[in-house]
Amino acid sequence: MQLLAAKSRTARDMLAISPSTNFILNVLMVICVILTLAPFYIIIITSLTSEASLIKNGYQLWPEEFSINAYTYLFREGSIVITAYRNTIISTVAGTVLTLILVTLYAYPLSRPNFRFATFFTFFAFFTMLFGGGLVAYYMVMRQILQIQNTIWALFVPSAFSPFWVFVLRTYIKTNIPDELIEAARIDGANEWRILFQIVLPLSVPGLATVALFSAIGIWNNFFNVLLLIDKVELYNLQYMIYSTLNNIRFLLDNASRMQGVVNLSELPSQTFRMAMAVVTIGPIVLAYPFFQRYFVRGLTIGAIKG
Amino acid sequence: MSNAENPISEKPQKPKFRWTQDAIYTNLSYLLMVLPGTIWLILFAYLPMPGIIMAFKNYRLQKPPADHWIQNRFIYSLIESPWVGLDNFRYLVNPVNLDNTIMFVRNTVLYNLLFMVVGLVASVALAVIIYELTNRFWAKLYHSIFFLPFFISWVVVAYVVYALANNSGIINTLLASWNMPPLEMYKEKIYWPFIFLFANLWKYTGNGSILYLAIITGIDRQLYEAAAMDGASKWQQFWNITLPQLIPTIVLLQILAVGRIFGSDFDMFYTLPAGSAMVRDVTTTIDIYVFNMLRSTSPLGYPAAAALLQSVLGFILILVTNYIVRKTRPEMALF
Repeated sequence: MQLLAAKSRTARDMLAISPSTNFILNVLMVICVILTLAPFYIIIITSLTSEASLIKNGYQLWPEEFSINAYTYLFREGSIVITAYRNTIISTVAGTVLTLILVTLYAYPLSRPNFRFATFFTFFAFFTMLFGGGLVAYYMVMRQILQIQNTIWALFVPSAFSPFWVFVLRTYIKTNIPDELIEAARIDGANEWRILFQIVLPLSVPGLATVALFSAIGIWNNFFNVLLLIDKVELYNLQYMIYSTLNNIRFLLDNASRMQGVVNLSELPSQTFRMAMAVVTIGPIVLAYPFFQRYFVRGLTIGAIKG
Repeated sequence: MSNAENPISEKPQKPKFRWTQDAIYTNLSYLLMVLPGTIWLILFAYLPMPGIIMAFKNYRLQKPPADHWIQNRFIYSLIESPWVGLDNFRYLVNPVNLDNTIMFVRNTVLYNLLFMVVGLVASVALAVIIYELTNRFWAKLYHSIFFLPFFISWVVVAYVVYALANNSGIINTLLASWNMPPLEMYKEKIYWPFIFLFANLWKYTGNGSILYLAIITGIDRQLYEAAAMDGASKWQQFWNITLPQLIPTIVLLQILAVGRIFGSDFDMFYTLPAGSAMVRDVTTTIDIYVFNMLRSTSPLGYPAAAALLQSVLGFILILVTNYIVRKTRPEMALF
């Protein structure tokens, strides 16, 4: 992160921790890194274990027998996984675009000193961070009034906006775009829309990227709204699809000893297959992570600190 | 860093203002811009708010008569259902349910306090360590890795917990190879506070340390140099220079956390136990209770009452905390 680069060399030498402390801290960090990455290792290695080995030996850190059957099965069988993938991608893309539109349009006027109703609209958004109608009322309103249950909208519209993002972006615009620039554009005859799209937005890319990533990750990982509002398998997203099968497996396996003869373990939905689905679910995030984390850190710190 | 703690208090400066034609036009543009977000807020945040009156009613879904002016079943039922005063709240504390109520309120508050304290210490410690490491490349790499779990959903974490903790999971396979008895994690309560705490630290510590790291990076190096010349140890420098600079942000984040103390990370508490009924006494929070009641056949007034208490108590708590902070250290208050 560029934050760290700011430290000057000379100051460092004088204030640097001793080599032995540095060594101990590095060892500590490496242990933490291993603990942090262990869960990723576990699901990946389990997804690569052969089903027979899993049933015979249980879950192992280094399986007796490897297999990529889970993945070939995953992509051959298709339908349910591909449907869930499609739903997830559609809702993530549409939701991120919607978020950018809603948040940008709300944040920009709040950053302008000449908006006469800025205080009201700031409060209007902020109040929802402090108080809510509660889950029961939310559930009833979504299902009985807005009636978005069992539609693709339920996957992204309820999570497409957040006052927090508005404040991050508003602060970003305020601290990074000089008023003089906007005044100059105004004197040159640009209207507010043009100022927003041709001057403010191009200069706010890290802030916009932060909001977009927050939103995209939130919608990609959306579980709660699917649990509340979706009853049809064909509208499940990836998260909900992998969740809905975990309970069944756990129950069957933990009770397998009592149910000898009733349940044949080898006929259970393949466990390695489920782990492969979990890997596929996080795959795009992990692959994209190195590219977006730079923006993310910068946008987040600038937007949130200098408030 | 002045005002750093205050995300919404900036007031637009207002020089002498007149509604010139230009100002009207500009403000109309602004109003048009905030319109979509305002509609979203009304639909998804404000519209459910009147629903809190369900907590004071014996809500039953009824079909409106064909000639009634309200044709929406929910609104009609909400208005037509009889008022029952505080009966729904009495249900939560009557002798039959009292133990259960205490259980889920206790879980919610204690888990939140635990996460607040341990999470704060871990995030600050991580930020300080990352900053002090002498090799920048490794420091950046470590931090990038610690940040990654923030993006992983709780459902996937539930899979990991399952792979570790089930009867033939990694932990029990290892124990078996050392001839030790298996741990029945989905059946015994004792493990769950540790599982939740560890999962919470795993997911949020890297993210939580970003802000602190940014602030530490912004602290004037001369302060440390002067302290070092006077013989202050690293430890003393932390307590007397670093920590005071972090306090405003810590206070702000803790005010927000206190306001959420009756809330909980629904996805975590719901997915990690994978529906195991035997550990529900240590995995049920207010949110989980409300959701389960919502999905059961019991009257909706009961969960509505619990949800209302949750909202109102959280709201009062955040106002009180903010009031106390404003009285003692006005510059740190949230609003």
